[in-house]
Amino acid sequence: MNFIKRLLLDCNPSRNITSSYTNTQIDHVRTQRSQYAQIAEDYRRRRAADPGEGPSTAAAPTQDQDEALAAAAQAEEDEKKTKKRKRKEEDAIDEIKKAKKAKGGKAAEKKEKAIAKKKAKKTNPDLDDSDDEDYDIDYKKAKPAPGQFEHCESCNKRFTVTPYSKEGPDGGLVCTPCGKEMTKDLKKEQKALQPKAAAGKRRRKVESEKLDGVSTGGAKSLVQLCLQRVAQHHDDVEELGDLPPKLLERLSEIFSKKRVMKPKTLPLFLRPDLDSVVVHDAAYLEEEDYLQMFSVVPNMKKLVLSNTCQLKDKSMDYMLERCHELRHIALYAANLVSEEMWHRLFQEAGAKLEVIKLKWLDAAFEDEAVHDMVQCCPNLERLKLKLCRRIGQDSIDSIAELPALKHLTLHIGREVSNDALINLIEKRGSLLETLSLEKFLDADDAVVEAIHDNCNRLSKLRLSENDTITDAGFTALFTNWPNPPLTFADFNSTRDVDNNNPTGPEEAVGLASSGFAALMAHSGPSLKHLDIASCRFIELSAFCDVFNGAQSYPALEYINISFCNKVDTSVVAGIFKSCPKLKSLVAFGCFDVDNVVVPRSIALVGVPRAQDAIEQFGIGVDVDEAVGRMVEVGA
Amino acid sequence: MRDVKAGSSEYITLVSNDGFEFKIQRSSACISGMIKRMLDPNGGFSESTTNVCKFSEINGIVLEKVCEYFYYNEKHKDSRDVPDMDFPPELCLELLMAADFLDT
Repeated sequence: MNFIKRLLLDCNPSRNITSSYTNTQIDHVRTQRSQYAQIAEDYRRRRAADPGEGPSTAAAPTQDQDEALAAAAQAEEDEKKTKKRKRKEEDAIDEIKKAKKAKGGKAAEKKEKAIAKKKAKKTNPDLDDSDDEDYDIDYKKAKPAPGQFEHCESCNKRFTVTPYSKEGPDGGLVCTPCGKEMTKDLKKEQKALQPKAAAGKRRRKVESEKLDGVSTGGAKSLVQLCLQRVAQHHDDVEELGDLPPKLLERLSEIFSKKRVMKPKTLPLFLRPDLDSVVVHDAAYLEEEDYLQMFSVVPNMKKLVLSNTCQLKDKSMDYMLERCHELRHIALYAANLVSEEMWHRLFQEAGAKLEVIKLKWLDAAFEDEAVHDMVQCCPNLERLKLKLCRRIGQDSIDSIAELPALKHLTLHIGREVSNDALINLIEKRGSLLETLSLEKFLDADDAVVEAIHDNCNRLSKLRLSENDTITDAGFTALFTNWPNPPLTFADFNSTRDVDNNNPTGPEEAVGLASSGFAALMAHSGPSLKHLDIASCRFIELSAFCDVFNGAQSYPALEYINISFCNKVDTSVVAGIFKSCPKLKSLVAFGCFDVDNVVVPRSIALVGVPRAQDAIEQFGIGVDVDEAVGRMVEVGA
Repeated sequence: MRDVKAGSSEYITLVSNDGFEFKIQRSSACISGMIKRMLDPNGGFSESTTNVCKFSEINGIVLEKVCEYFYYNEKHKDSRDVPDMDFPPELCLELLMAADFLDT
């Protein structure tokens, strides 16, 4: 017989003797009854949760009370072990589901609910919604008081109710560990909903776009908006139609920047009628992509591949076979191309080549290759050799023999004697329109003198990262120089570097006050781009003299005065006044500049707290108003 | 603040290749460099007198978005943190070509 029935019989042998039982006795019976009821419920729940397990518990109802308790306890123990494994699995699956839910959203949730319903129907065929709905009355259990036992809503485990027990989603109580998990989940959700990072991110985005030159306030151009959209949806774009080549190049730049220039998107930019292929980030492209490139666009005249790490001999070979019209080659980081292939390139395609730009070649490309190049490329007008580790002074001597050279950029790591440089300048100087010598640390005043004496067509001059040329040398360069005014002047990092002497030597080294003044006096009228970053020995007085507001530099669009720490706000105000066409002013590390009010179309980069002034005065200020306000604030 | 020059109207008409006409303010339309040049009285184009610009390569839907862009640009000319204008991605490429043509 069922022991509960027996118990009830015990408690209630005959109905007419209830009064003979005292209250305490009745209470005692009640608690016993509830305990047994708990145990029975426990057992029932466990059976419901694991239908397939625990054959031993099937025998429980037919045993005695005590035996039943013991058996129940034993069964619990057994089930615990298998349950633990199961629970761990369930937990893992739950986590995955949660993560998926967070990504999936409403549609996924609906799906899950439908699946859950189906599953429930499968395991319990009695659960038929249509029938039960009419008869379903929500029976709510009274909340048990603290101290009593209750079953956790989520994990079905029995636990003692405390005043701190949390409520589950369906109204019942949950045990402590489940309660902890619930609060953790809630916190996560709240964090996800918070827009706290939005403000900081927006500011970063605005500054980043300013640095890229995309926008200086106000709305972006429609072309820019569209390009961004296309890049955003790059997966869905199937073909780019009839975009003009200029837009195509801009689009390829954006794709490269977002690192989505991959084998899948490359074909968008390859059309048989194009005459140039420009890929600024070819890191994801493999051999087949290069072969495709050369086969689809055989008439290419201009080939620009940056980060072409996977360009190998086979692709180069195919290129030489297919593309006979090459005039412009720019290959950056093509380190898998062998030495012989470089020789072959110059020998076979050299006759038509007009522009060669090679950067970051570490493994091959020796002086002999440069020699070959000079021999085979008589029409070479533009040459850029930067960071090619294996070439040295001999290359300079070879380059000096190039007959048509107009634009030369060199950045050579190995030692180059000043005589070699002077020789180069003397031989080629008269035709040169661009001369850029970066990081020739030992170049001295004699080199600059050679430039003065031999170059009279220069429009772009860069002499950067040097600590030997003196200020006097620079001044001599720009004084009485028959060369017409430069359009591009870059003398960044020309200064004395000596930690023991922070104020610099007596005789100024690098571009300093008098050199700067001479430069601006010579090239002021047509200078477009000025870079004097890190020329920290230029005095404040020199800056004020040059940018005094009265003197106008009509073409100047970009100025970089980073780390010239003598600059202060009045200089910046003067710059705004003197340069009507200014678009961008870069001033990192100029700590005396503050309270700057930036006029409408100018991007000021690198000045901390410039935003404060913008917040004060708004962004749509004219130059005069801005300068006026700055003077006010300064005074 | 209306500054109406003698002889120039405040509103001009843009006509797409499928016959849609859009009347928009002159100031917004001149955000496009091309339209500005077309309407410039010193340029000598007939559009400066008729105040109507016909575009035979741009269709109505794209031209409508372009007009929307003009007003969006003018509205946000002096503010920062401008939210990007929203437009359907399917329209993107045609809008890009129109934007390039109109120099805007």
